[in-house]
Amino acid sequence: MLNQIPNLLMQASTDPLVTQGIPVSPKTFWLPKGASTVAADLDWVFEFLNYINYFFFVLVVGIMFYFMWKYRQKGREVYARGPSHHTALELGWTILPTIIVVFIFFVGFKGFMIAKTPPANCYQIDVTASRWNWTFKYPNGADSQDLYIPAGRPVKLVMRSDDVLHSLFIRDFRVKNDVVPGRFSTLWFQADNPTGMEKEEDGHWLFCTEFCGKDHSNMNRRVYVLNQTDFDAWLTKRAQWLDVIPAEELYYKAGPILFKRCASCHTLDGSVGTGPSWGNYDGSGNIWERTSNPQTTHKVDNGKPLSDFIGPGKQYEAPEGYLRESILNPGAHVVDTYGNVMPTFKGQLNDRAIDALIGMMKNLKDFDAKGKFIGELPATATPATATPAK
Amino acid sequence: MTTLDSRQIPTSAPDNYLTHTRGLLSWLLTLDHKRIGVMYMTAVLTSFFVGGVMALLVRTKLLFPGAVEWMSADDYNKAFTLHGAVMVFLVIIPSVPAALGNFILPIMLGAKDVAFPRLNLFSFYLWVLGAICAVWSLLVGGFDTGWTFYTPYSTQFAAGGVIPVLIGVFILGFSSIFTGLNFIVTIHKLRPPGMTWFRMPLFLWAVYATAVIQVLATPVLGITVALLVIERAFNIGIFDPSMGGDPVLFQHFFWFYSHPAVYIMVLPGMGIISEIIAVHSHRHIFGFRFIAFSSIAIAIFSFLVWGHHMFTSGQSPMMNVLFSAITFSVAIPSAVKVFNWLATLYKGSIAFNTPMLYGLAFIFLFTIGGLTGIPLAVLSTDIHLHDTYYVVAHFHYVMMGSALIAMIGGLHHWWPKMTGRMFSDFWGKIACGLVFVGFNVCFFTQFMLGSQGMPRRYYMYQPEFKMYHHISTGGSYIMAIGFIITAIYLIHSLFAGKKAPANPWGGASLEWQCSSPPPHDNFAVTPRVGDCYDFSAVRWDEEQEGYVIDTEAHIAAASNGKGH
Repeated sequence: MLNQIPNLLMQASTDPLVTQGIPVSPKTFWLPKGASTVAADLDWVFEFLNYINYFFFVLVVGIMFYFMWKYRQKGREVYARGPSHHTALELGWTILPTIIVVFIFFVGFKGFMIAKTPPANCYQIDVTASRWNWTFKYPNGADSQDLYIPAGRPVKLVMRSDDVLHSLFIRDFRVKNDVVPGRFSTLWFQADNPTGMEKEEDGHWLFCTEFCGKDHSNMNRRVYVLNQTDFDAWLTKRAQWLDVIPAEELYYKAGPILFKRCASCHTLDGSVGTGPSWGNYDGSGNIWERTSNPQTTHKVDNGKPLSDFIGPGKQYEAPEGYLRESILNPGAHVVDTYGNVMPTFKGQLNDRAIDALIGMMKNLKDFDAKGKFIGELPATATPATATPAK
Repeated sequence: MTTLDSRQIPTSAPDNYLTHTRGLLSWLLTLDHKRIGVMYMTAVLTSFFVGGVMALLVRTKLLFPGAVEWMSADDYNKAFTLHGAVMVFLVIIPSVPAALGNFILPIMLGAKDVAFPRLNLFSFYLWVLGAICAVWSLLVGGFDTGWTFYTPYSTQFAAGGVIPVLIGVFILGFSSIFTGLNFIVTIHKLRPPGMTWFRMPLFLWAVYATAVIQVLATPVLGITVALLVIERAFNIGIFDPSMGGDPVLFQHFFWFYSHPAVYIMVLPGMGIISEIIAVHSHRHIFGFRFIAFSSIAIAIFSFLVWGHHMFTSGQSPMMNVLFSAITFSVAIPSAVKVFNWLATLYKGSIAFNTPMLYGLAFIFLFTIGGLTGIPLAVLSTDIHLHDTYYVVAHFHYVMMGSALIAMIGGLHHWWPKMTGRMFSDFWGKIACGLVFVGFNVCFFTQFMLGSQGMPRRYYMYQPEFKMYHHISTGGSYIMAIGFIITAIYLIHSLFAGKKAPANPWGGASLEWQCSSPPPHDNFAVTPRVGDCYDFSAVRWDEEQEGYVIDTEAHIAAASNGKGH
């Protein structure tokens, strides 16, 4: 019997696709403009509850102020004779709120079942949350930092976390769900109006809403809604963006884009971050100099110099081997005074991407503090702006 | 009749609990519930100051989010965590039951002390030990987990003194359990002849309901933090998914205590409000039984609704639906209380003393706090509002606007009784007004921030939220000024306040029938009781500049069923 209840509940809610075609809800005093098919229903419920709340607030506070004025103490009159109970009245104000809240429950229940029941034909995007990044992986293998979705089509996010709890919240879509390590959680929505992707402001905000440590506040990205044609074009381009860049141009074309993900912890100018800076760090040179110098004093693993690990016959034949390991298996050697907090990028960065990042480390002088390429292009190169993807 | 008053109720006894014995040790080793109450109050108010400073740091950071050199992300995270943990575990939970309750409860019962005076003192020292653990945690780097200690952040990732503060919370839990146990036994066994359950002041009903929650729910907190300590120290994997554990299990454990804890915080406050509204309206409380039973109803329902903190946690939709439905049941007894307080004002003779202003502020703020709980209990809207500032605003209206405002109202209501001195009513009203205005400016704007999507626990925010954050911070400063004024006039009254009469407000319950401050034994003989909300025998006495109660007439009225 009990295991039937979820099915019954599902049937009680209306078909999710019924909501299709409802216009997006406008910006109000309370809510930002809605942009998904579930937003209109939720906004209606929220405004409806607000009016109930206004009514009861004015009622309670109005009566309170009226009584405060009407029955204020006059002189030293100390004994006031008012009724001490009235059973009918008391039953009335017990039962009436009961009826109202039962009604309110069902109003919210309906919207919730719609929001929780993904339609069958969803476009699926895999989400990985790690401190403090979102990675969105599309069916064709492309991945992105901001979320790109096709318009007019239900989208389902299948989410997992690499470390702690996170929560994915797209406020204009009115959807939110925690991302829990060790399990998959899902979220679905459908946005009908394309936003374009020319400017950052075009996108809807995506926030992390479960406290996840130091840079929780900066774990927010944008959601761009593209019409199907634009989306397909973007997706194809995005999947290939690394592949179309010639190997020798990777470091200045792909490097700065990939570095954005590193930038939440690593700086380029030597300033303090959650991880060691790639730039000149406590006077011992930039990350490439620290790694490649055979006499390096840079210390890892409780005080052993890096030179113990890098060189012919040692753990890593070449410095590149160490850098590669630090990206794919960051806990292998942890730089002194830093904690073992970096997530692995295995499965997220392929060999070309790692080459691009190592190339960037080798040519750090050609980049400004924000990772913008400011060096001189090799004679054979195509301009750095040609890079397609965001 | 005229001869009774001055004879039976001496204005100031030659010997009171403050002068009964002298010296520091006579306080530290006292078994007198009044002295323990005063020590608790001092400790709680000190913690309130610390928690308040943290709140101001958090708000000030949000005024200048970019100024990282002044306060880094880590500092901010530690500040809001400390604010939450101190306010919940060291201030609000013990404030009314342990501090005010300890002082007033036995006197209201006409008893000489609580049932277990030694356990009472032990529970105070457990509180002190818990507070020392919190300081220990700060000395080893503080902690930034949020007061909710969600795993796996708290077990595997957070740096600093997580274990010390968890040990502190564990110990504070026992302090809370012992106080609750003590009060349950005291109320059952030490009521005077004639005080039936339905003659018992509503404050005691509320404290009784609270004590039941404390005794039943707090052990779960103890188990939870013990598991957390073991997990963090030895990595046994109970909350670690890579070892087959489950972080969501922690949330269930945590909220199984922490939701009832919300009622540990607000129920005693509601009890204070029932006293304040009736006494300062000089009229019988309306619907005694409904108010009394609504306290019990809230205590019972409080155990069944914890899952509404987890609508977006990934628990099954079925659980969400059930928890949402049960959550609404809490709304009903809360609404019943508000309606009964309003009806108590009806045909009253309302004196706008400082405690009464806090009482009326409570009704105003609790109404907002309660009503804004509805969009959070409704499943579809909670998905949008969960973990935003809407939640922050809502629980501040309930925990600060209601529980703490009631505590401060109660402090003013019983201040003359506790200290034997009157505070400046003029400055009291000014401060109350500043706190009320500042509170609303600070937290009402946060409803707007939240519904517009501003997440909680962010030190940085998008420019569109700037105006609201600035207004909110301004409100917090107004509130701070109100509390500073309160501290000044209360401390001033200790040295220069007018001597308090036994009954400054016109109350009819037993605590107003002993001198201010009460003698060491409270009552020389066990007093007889009438109806504590029957004010027909209360008169103003010019000579004493206070109210006096004609005890014989009071008791006679109760036995005749008059005075209603």
